[in-house]
Order: sequence, then structure tokens, then C-alpha cells
Amino acid sequence: MEKLTKVRFTNLDKILYPTSGIKKAQIIEYYIKIAPFMLKFLEDRPLVITRFPDGVDQKGFYEKDAPKGKPSWVETFRRYSETAKRNLDYIVCNNLDTLLWLANLAALELHIPLSKTGSYEKPDIILFDIDPEPPANINDAIEVAKLLKEILDNLAFESFPKTSGKKGLHIVVPIVPDYTYKETRELVHQIGKHLKKEHERVVSEFSRSQEPGTVYIDYGQNSVGKTMICPYSLRATQNASVSAPLGWDKLQKGLKPQNFNIFSVVTIKSNPWEDFWEHKQKMGEMINGKS
Amino acid sequence: MEKVRAEPPKRSIWSGRISIGLVNVPVKLYTMIRDNSISFRYLHKRDGAPLKYQKVCTADKEVVAWEDIVKGYEISKNEYVVFTKEELEAIKPESDERIRINKFINLISVDPLYFDKSYILAPNKSKDAYSLMLSAFRKMGMAGVGKFTMKNKEHPVVIHVYKGVLILTILRYANEIVYPMDLTELNDLPEPTKDELVLATKIVENLSGEFDITEYKDGFREKVENLIAKKLKGETVIPAKPQKEEVKGIMVALQETLNKLEQK
Repeated sequence: MEKLTKVRFTNLDKILYPTSGIKKAQIIEYYIKIAPFMLKFLEDRPLVITRFPDGVDQKGFYEKDAPKGKPSWVETFRRYSETAKRNLDYIVCNNLDTLLWLANLAALELHIPLSKTGSYEKPDIILFDIDPEPPANINDAIEVAKLLKEILDNLAFESFPKTSGKKGLHIVVPIVPDYTYKETRELVHQIGKHLKKEHERVVSEFSRSQEPGTVYIDYGQNSVGKTMICPYSLRATQNASVSAPLGWDKLQKGLKPQNFNIFSVVTIKSNPWEDFWEHKQKMGEMINGKS
Repeated sequence: MEKVRAEPPKRSIWSGRISIGLVNVPVKLYTMIRDNSISFRYLHKRDGAPLKYQKVCTADKEVVAWEDIVKGYEISKNEYVVFTKEELEAIKPESDERIRINKFINLISVDPLYFDKSYILAPNKSKDAYSLMLSAFRKMGMAGVGKFTMKNKEHPVVIHVYKGVLILTILRYANEIVYPMDLTELNDLPEPTKDELVLATKIVENLSGEFDITEYKDGFREKVENLIAKKLKGETVIPAKPQKEEVKGIMVALQETLNKLEQK
């Protein structure tokens, strides 16, 4: 074991998902198996992690600052945090060992910012966070996502859908990091307003996002310091669901987000987002067109 | 006949007479129970020499000679009532070389938890007397209870027939056995439901079988013996750490993923 990883595993028997009886050993095994798909999305991104040392039924906690006792080989990224009012050392997961160290910390959820350390103010991802408010559900989110895809197709944008692992969907667009968050946020906001005209349930403003039966396109997530759940990250749900990247063809009515979980996701043969980073797209023309 | 058995002892450890009323049968006692657990000697790491124990005074750290040692009974912390060897010798029970049987009982009526060590009773000089007593025990199907003194200690005992010979089993005193209900947590056990009981009974039924002690082996002893054999042949022994099932799963997955990542 020592030869395979630098991580010293502890409390492998501890049950972290009580409803399904999933032990920490299984969490670690999941992250080992999914690592070849997942590491590219973690690369060079200062993480916000959610740890559940006593299992998902107990209160977990967000962690931005690398915990004490961090091994020296774990990379960090120092940045001033407005909320904490001090410099924080964010964990950067650029290799399998770091991922396994996080798994051993019961960091079930790994949240990534939409930009990398090298160009922290300039995102390389645009996120359309489609969030249905009950009684609206995943089927409404899928309807909206399909309309969104049409718009993005018309703009010649390649887009990639994933489940959030909870009730919503994330539509993700890789771009060259040449634009500000203000610009990407404005794009998402404008497209949201446009979608609102095409679908009765869609709301594009935060003020209406809590109204029952609405589907909110959350543009605010496209901001510096904000994060999205990393593709293939586990969620702290009863059934150990995963934020699962999908092909557009898989996004059909009746899709059950909970079916993408710790057991099912590792059985995938290929990554539906395999060529994600080969589509670093420019949005210059469209921004110009709008302004 | 069981094939698994302990080495028979070379000589007896006690000799005397079984006394039943006016009848006396001369017997010898052989050890019957062998402690087979592996034992190690402590050696000096540097030169391999065996270590010995010494009695060291806690006050001046000097080694104390045997003749300068007395026994103390601790009545409270650091306060002792002192006895000399002579004082204790005088009150020790005298072995009169007799096993006195004063009652005959059904062996099954003695709960196994009273059984301590067992010894084999063999005839001493007169085989006829021994054989006669053995036959009487067998015919009656009874066991004799009484007491005897060995190594200056008096024990309650039961003599019974096993595999066609007489066995002496030392019994424990009543004050050596904890009464289970004195543990309060055992006082308020809930009644199981009918369904639970049916299920539990089924499990027991499915697992019931013949008692065979040879099914149980001391795995540690076997492993140590294997290691000794290897060491004697000069093979180097790499200690294998115990591995849990979970860790094995992680190991296999880890190796696969490392291979995949390397290909990229």
C-alpha cells in the first residue's frame, strides 16, 4: 500500500452514508476508480470542500482553508478571502494522492471554481445552473435544458450537461479564459431572460427563484470565488448520488438523478465529457453583438 | 479415536490414596491438561543472551537476596501486614496424601463452569484395587466428590470415568464464581417477540451439529511454527501485515487506476 499511495488511510470501517451503509473504504474506492475521469476537472482549481467526518446524517462543514496536518506534498493556492477577511490556503488537487487524501478526510463533496489558479479572475467555464423549485422537478429542468441547448447551438456553443446530484442540472460551456466573470455572468443572465419568454416556468431573477414551481437559471454562480460541484463528485445525499456528466441524448424525461450514484457511475465505460477541454470556445462575437 | 492429542507426561506429579470410607486405593496423578500456547523467552537484542528476572528494592534499587525477602499483605495503599516464611508454613494445609471422597453424585449435576484442571488417576502398585474401584464407578454411573491437598493447597475435586480410566478434576470454590445476575445490565432483558424467536430458533436448528473439538485450531501457534521452520532453514521472513477486506479492494482499485493514469 505504501508504494501505491502516500496517503495513510484511517477509520476505513466508518459508515459515512448510514442509509445505504456505505463505509469510508467504499468512498475511497469510488474516488480511486473515478479519478481518471475526474482529475482533469480538478486540475489547478482551488477547492472548496464539504466534509462529513461523522457521516451525511450529521452536520458536515465547508472548508476553504487547508486543514492543519495537511501533508507537505499537498499543493495549495493562497488567496485573500472576502468572507473570512484573511488569506486562505486553498487545496489544489492535481494528482491521485491528493484526491485520496481528501476522500480520507471524508471530504465527500468537492466544489470547483469556474476559473483556474493561473487566471483566477477569468473563468474558463460558463455555468448555467438550472434549479427547479418544487413542485417543479427534474423533468422541468430537462425541458428547460433542451431549450437552452437550442439557443447555445444557434450561438455555435458546444455545451455539456450534468446532473447536480441533487434536484437540478448544470449546463457547462468551456471557454478560453479571456473574459471577465462580469461578462460570462451577463451572458447567462441575458440567455435566462430569453428562455423566460420561451418557457412559462423559467425565472431569470434571483428575487423570484424561491417561488414554487419555477425553474431558476442561476447566473450569479458565474462570479469570482463562487463554485460548482465538480463533475463526478459525490453528494451528501442519502443515496450517495453523484454529479454525473451525461451525453445530451441521455437527458430525457424520466431521468432519475439518484440513479447516478457511487455504485452506478463507476461502471461507465467512457467519459461522456471526454473531449470537454478540446472545446475552449470564444464568446467575443456574441458579447459584442449584445453590447 | 481423536487423532489430535497432547503429548503424554513422562512421570506422575503426585502419589497417595483415594479414601472412600474405610477403603483405600493407592494412586498416582498424571498431568492431563497441557498448555500448548506458544511461549517466548526474552533475549538481549544485542547478543541474544536470555534475560533473567531479579527482585529489586523500589527504595534503593538494590537487588534483594532470597533470604532477605518476606511476604506482605497489603491492607491499604503502601501499608502491609508482614509474614515470615515460617509463619505461613505453619498454617499451610498439610498434604496427608489422601483424596477423600465423601459423596457420590451424578456428574451431569456439576455445572461445567466449576471444572478446573483435570488429572489422570493411575494405579500405584496395586492394579487390582484400582481396577475394582473403576468397575464400581462404571457400574454405578456415578462420580465421587471430595477434597484433597496438593502443593499446600486444598481443592474440592470430583473423580469420574473418562475413556475407561479414572480422572480427577479439581473444582473451583463457590466464591471464585461470579453470579451473573449481580451484573445489573442482565437484570432487565426484554422478551423477544414470537416472530423473532421463530427466526432465532431456525438459525440455531440450521447450525446444529455434532460437537467436534478438533474443528478448532490455534491459528497463531500454527503460523509461529511455520515461521520457526522457515527461520531454521535460513529463509528471510518478511512480516505480512494483516489486511482487512476493505483495504484489499482499495489496493486492487488503486493499482488499476495507477495503470490507467500512466497510460495517459
